[in-house]
Amino acid sequence: MANYNVPSELRYSETHEWVKDLGNKRYRLGITDFAAQHAGDITYVELPETETVIDKDGVDCTIETVKSSEDICNQISGTIVAVNDMLEDSPETVSSDCYGDGWLYEVEAESDDDFSSLMTAEEYEEFLATQED
Amino acid sequence: MNKTPLFERHVAMGATMAEFGGWDMPLWYKTGQTAEHKATRENCGLFDICHMGEYIITGKDSFAFWQKMLTNDVRAIEDGQAQYNFMLNEKGCVIDDCIVYRFNEEKWMLVVNAGTQDSDFEWLKKNALPDMKLENISAQTCKLDLQGPNAPKLIAEIAGREAIEGLKFFRFVDNVNLDGIKVLLSRTGYTGEIGFEIYCDIKETVKLWDLLLTRGEKYGIMPAGLGARDTLRLEAGLPLSGHEVRPDVVAAGTPWEFAISYEHDFIGKEPLMAAKGTIFAYAITVEGKRKPGDHSKVLYKGEEIGVLTSEIMAVSLGMVPAGFIRVNKELALDEEIELLNEKGKTFKAFVKANPLVKGTSRKKMASML
Repeated sequence: MANYNVPSELRYSETHEWVKDLGNKRYRLGITDFAAQHAGDITYVELPETETVIDKDGVDCTIETVKSSEDICNQISGTIVAVNDMLEDSPETVSSDCYGDGWLYEVEAESDDDFSSLMTAEEYEEFLATQED
Repeated sequence: MNKTPLFERHVAMGATMAEFGGWDMPLWYKTGQTAEHKATRENCGLFDICHMGEYIITGKDSFAFWQKMLTNDVRAIEDGQAQYNFMLNEKGCVIDDCIVYRFNEEKWMLVVNAGTQDSDFEWLKKNALPDMKLENISAQTCKLDLQGPNAPKLIAEIAGREAIEGLKFFRFVDNVNLDGIKVLLSRTGYTGEIGFEIYCDIKETVKLWDLLLTRGEKYGIMPAGLGARDTLRLEAGLPLSGHEVRPDVVAAGTPWEFAISYEHDFIGKEPLMAAKGTIFAYAITVEGKRKPGDHSKVLYKGEEIGVLTSEIMAVSLGMVPAGFIRVNKELALDEEIELLNEKGKTFKAFVKANPLVKGTSRKKMASML
């Protein structure tokens, strides 16, 4: 199996999003190294508008690649408070720097519950080991 | 899952692998699909196509066999020539698309798709004629595709200019020596660019791959995965088995009529002729920056008329979403349609001339050396 970067301070979903706790119930979301490697060349990111109220199981962001379209699952219920506008001009950053400048959007949540229910880095690495490469 | 002899090479080069037709194949390498696509259009790309199937057919009845099994007329080709074909079932639907190679009247090769190679073989066996022999040589055969405007220069440098300078589109030469490897060089491909489909003994696969990549370095060669193969073939206006051509869709009204000759009798001919005027296929481009999604419905003035069968970002058109549609209505060039995806979102699209991108495939060989 290929090696994937899984930073220890983040939480993870089975659909390969990462979530970072920014404090005060504010969270940042992006796609993992695994998702980036499997997505291929990213050509466009359709981001949600700020102030949109989102549901953790909903999809409000889509990543367009040369090969396919990837839906991003919100993971956290709350309100969008920031989106990464830089991706308009450089969508490829989502895969080239997936844990850094390639972040997608930030959410202000009502509670910590959604974040706590996500996988830890250790759990996500175990989950990756069960995935077909 | 099946692996080609190049599996270790792909992994070592950092390829992202995926299942295709029962095979573990490279989608793209570290450089990515866009770079591989561009390298093939501008310089040359090398594709591991060992997963595809090859059969050898010999004997007095082989000519009559092809006339029965294939849609094109093999009377149209001579020794050393290849021909694109559909293989139909009794309903006039496409079991597979394939290329038939004529060595002589009693020796032929048929090259078929990866996922269908066993069922195709069973179908051929079931319909075999008395005086012919059918042999599946897929497991013993390496196939590498070298495609792009610099492909002839690379082959000429290794094999000598005289080996290929007279080679026309859809012709092949056997027993060409590539630095000690005996190959069959076919001037065919799936990218719209000039180039070769190269066949040899499966044992020589890694050696041939390494040879072409090493000697091809100065010609800008890049290993390319199935991702680039798909964007290149769609731009070049070529169908993908299981998508544009399928065992449950009659082969009528497609841009690939050149695969069919009505001058002879073949399995599926009657239903195929009966379906004329009821089914059509077109290349399209989509407005905006997003692809609608596979299986989107095609709407014309609000009425559902068909389905989107493939979609890509057309790299050579500057990242324009594009695809093929299959519809039950004849549409004019540049006619506007709508695509409705599974999430209920609609996209404006336009019928375009096929192919979307005209490559170098038909250029005179001597002008490319």
